[in-house]
Amino acid sequence: MFKLLKTVIKTGEATVRYPFAPLPVSPGFRGKPEYDPTQCIACGACTIACPANALSMATDVEQGTRTWELFLGRCIFCARCEEVCPTRAIALSPEFELAVGNKADLYQRATFTLTACRSCQRPFAPSKEIDYAMALLVHSGLEADAVAEQRAHFETCPECKRHQSIPDSDKLTLGQTTTKGGAL
Amino acid sequence: MNGIDRGSFLPAGGAPTPISESEQTRQLKSTLLKDIQRSAYVYRVDCGGCNGCEIEIFAAITPIFDAERFGIKVVASPRHADILLFTGAVTRAMLTPAQRAYEAAPNPKICIAYGACGCGGGIFHDLYCVWGGTDKVVPVDVYIPGCPPTPAATLYGFAVALGLLDQKLKAGHHRQGDAERALVAHPGLPLDLCVRIEREARRMVGYRDGRRIADDFLEILAAPANQPLADRVHRYLQTEDDPRLAEVIARLVDVSARPAGQEAP
Amino acid sequence: MTLSTETRIGRHYVEALRERFPSTVLEEEWQTDDQVTVTVKVNALPEVVEWLYYQQGGWLSVLFGNDERQLHGNYAVYYVLSMEETVKSWVVVRAQVDAGTLEFPSVTPRVPAAVWGEREIRDMYGLIPVGLPDERRLVLPDDWPDGLYPLRKDAMDYRERPAPTTAVETYPFVNDARGETRDVGLGPLHITSDEPGHFRLFVDGETIVDADYRLFYVHRGMEKLAETRMGYDEVTFLSDRVCGICGFTHSVAYTSSVENALGIKAPPRAQMIRSLFLEVERLHSHLLNIGLASHFVGFDTGFMQFFRVREKSMTLAELLTGARKTYGMNLIGGVRRDILKDQRIATLKVVRELRTEVAQLVEMLIETPNLAQRTQGIGILDRKVARDFSPVGPLIRGSGFKRDIRADHHYAGYAQLPFDVKVLDGGDVQSRVLVRVKEFFDSLDLIERALELMPEGPILLEGFDYTPHRFALGFAEAPRGEDIHWSMTGDNQKLFRWRCRAPTYANWPALRYMLRGNTVSDAPLIVASLDPCYSCTDRVTLVDVKKRKSSTIAYTEFERYGRERKHSPLK
Repeated sequence: MFKLLKTVIKTGEATVRYPFAPLPVSPGFRGKPEYDPTQCIACGACTIACPANALSMATDVEQGTRTWELFLGRCIFCARCEEVCPTRAIALSPEFELAVGNKADLYQRATFTLTACRSCQRPFAPSKEIDYAMALLVHSGLEADAVAEQRAHFETCPECKRHQSIPDSDKLTLGQTTTKGGAL
Repeated sequence: MNGIDRGSFLPAGGAPTPISESEQTRQLKSTLLKDIQRSAYVYRVDCGGCNGCEIEIFAAITPIFDAERFGIKVVASPRHADILLFTGAVTRAMLTPAQRAYEAAPNPKICIAYGACGCGGGIFHDLYCVWGGTDKVVPVDVYIPGCPPTPAATLYGFAVALGLLDQKLKAGHHRQGDAERALVAHPGLPLDLCVRIEREARRMVGYRDGRRIADDFLEILAAPANQPLADRVHRYLQTEDDPRLAEVIARLVDVSARPAGQEAP
Repeated sequence: MTLSTETRIGRHYVEALRERFPSTVLEEEWQTDDQVTVTVKVNALPEVVEWLYYQQGGWLSVLFGNDERQLHGNYAVYYVLSMEETVKSWVVVRAQVDAGTLEFPSVTPRVPAAVWGEREIRDMYGLIPVGLPDERRLVLPDDWPDGLYPLRKDAMDYRERPAPTTAVETYPFVNDARGETRDVGLGPLHITSDEPGHFRLFVDGETIVDADYRLFYVHRGMEKLAETRMGYDEVTFLSDRVCGICGFTHSVAYTSSVENALGIKAPPRAQMIRSLFLEVERLHSHLLNIGLASHFVGFDTGFMQFFRVREKSMTLAELLTGARKTYGMNLIGGVRRDILKDQRIATLKVVRELRTEVAQLVEMLIETPNLAQRTQGIGILDRKVARDFSPVGPLIRGSGFKRDIRADHHYAGYAQLPFDVKVLDGGDVQSRVLVRVKEFFDSLDLIERALELMPEGPILLEGFDYTPHRFALGFAEAPRGEDIHWSMTGDNQKLFRWRCRAPTYANWPALRYMLRGNTVSDAPLIVASLDPCYSCTDRVTLVDVKKRKSSTIAYTEFERYGRERKHSPLK
């Protein structure tokens, strides 16, 4: 009994000051995913990696847009999105004050423009993804001008590219070619 | 059953009908919240969570976070409750008990959807044996995201529920700007080198520290070379004084010295 | 995987099996050097399992069904035995079940530990264990339509939600008492914490004559999800969420099951980090349970003190993994975070603080007269019952059995971290509390040793191939007993089947026998001593058949009586 009282007295005030003072979290704390839409290329890697389906993407072919969406209410804070993002557009932050009264405030969206294929006019890839792929080619050592000249090629959908690159004489073995192409 | 017709909870056509709140109840609630001058009692309804949330609620009411200093007290019966805290994605078996707990609490009452499962079904949202979140069965006033929410996030959520603090989050919808471009990291160094360095760093210390250490190392590589690389690396390691970091950096130096395609053993 | 015959541990079990039951073994397949699956003739199943269990020192870890019709036309059932006498290894007994008759002989009459597993196979696959004494539903809710078996491959989409068939609970509770009894129902909702469960105590005056329970109020359908929506690498994050307190243990068990199936090994440093995180998880879990034990014996100051100190272990978890729950740290082939200097120093500091502070609190708890008075000789798990039902964790170690997966079978970094498995003979609530206390201090030592011995090198294995239709076991000792996972890989980077058994699943069936003969006021203590991800009690329905009177009391009243033992609500 005496020992107990001693411990209680020795401990003194154990309670944190929060919410009257900010509460520090550990470095590397996994809080709210902080999203930078300007850096996002709408590639969809995060939406595939997200185990909880908190991240999703919907393509609107009519409008030629793709909309990325985070539903924070469903997020399990695993940071798989951060791990797979090729452009560092999303990373978990120390922010933990996430409660809302209005469910709509748990959603974050970003709409990106799709580039229409130069050949068939169908929208097929986000314009930022194409720009980024071209920037990577420059980064990997190709001349910027040479890459820019190829823009028409990059803005053609894979389907049309395949048709264009097959000479007439090869069309007989089309089945084989498409199988190979599909595996790439 | 205390006058509750349980048959009315039977979901129609496979999905439950959420209980709705009358206009009068809503007004009563806003009047109460405008001038709440007493304790708020909380009853927890576990609708099939993994216990992670339950234990964090426990942590929020024990000495370190001590929600009771604000008069927030966990009670034993929904009949004593002002606030109902729903956790879990609402399993089939818990649908009726959850709705009965809701009916048992006196009006006006505040419902909180707690945790990823409560807010939106979490990782279980579309499974055959769950209904997919609190708002599928009862009207929800406040959502506290988290998997699980930390005790501090819980305190914040209570404060939002009682109207003491304003919510910080706002919905956002970005639309792609005209000349919007994603930037390439470390444009001054060869792409292939950047990729190999970051990959090795992640293999050694994981996605988070790996990216940070790779960035540090690539910065050292990219810096104007008025000193040999070994010296610059040595200086960096001295400031950090971490044997594990030294091991990782030694590997990165090794990778940077190898030609592309030749991986470290 | 090609394994040389010499390195196979436990091959003599198979040899002995072939000798004892000639021409019964149809197939023998080795998954790792200490895991073998033997396919036997279906009619010999009960004899084979019984013989391995009682004659060869086997314990039934888990059993499950599998819809393998698309592989060979039949269903299959698997009985996983952990062999723990002299040579420690795994023997999985498999039998194919005809897709037309759906029948196989029940093992339960010979090995009681099979009861829950066989009931679950009925629920999920509609297979019929012939001779199973208890044919009630186990997992599926009362409102689930008859004849719809969720885990059959052709039964339904994982998202299909059939309309409920009933709005009332229809579960028949079983009472084996000979005389007249009162009927005490608890749950499913309750104040204390955690999972809902519905208990029914049958009492004569103050004494519990029998008990039964309806659990699985939280059945969500994770095993189905793992073979449908998710890729095998996402299931790691699902397995974290089997349990909110030992989630990391589940994901270690899951990832190692897949690693074993694919024949790959996570690097040594990753293995050691897994052990370290596992012990951190044990710290906060044991402090939770010891704290609750204080609460249930009426020592609430102790409860608050233990929870105050417990926060240090939570901070440690946050520091090491970025979240207070050690969720989301595993990947197939390794872990996602390393331990750098800052984490290392901070960990050692917390370990030292916890050692001093918890030692003081434990001393106080043991000196508190309530503890001995309320826990000695209470809720005894008889050695024979223990042997029959294969319970796990501190529950069985408190009854004198030296079972701990960390020492019995190798996984994570434990081969480099030898320690003495703590065992007490009392078999009562007190023994279980004290086993946990000892294990807490072991964990502190293990954390320090893991940091000391931390190997160099990477924490993640890359560049392995995912091969379909391979399977193996994975396992890990959670704070409340072993987690056993069995994974079979499938096509399209998805699992064909995932079976996960949490420790409490193995412990519940023995609870009934532990409650018998005790008083009503001890029930919450006994249930909590299982550490069943926490006790499940709420509203108490009391039915006294002798007095022909039925009454309902609030849980608080029941719990108050549990603590104070005055003014019985039964009078």
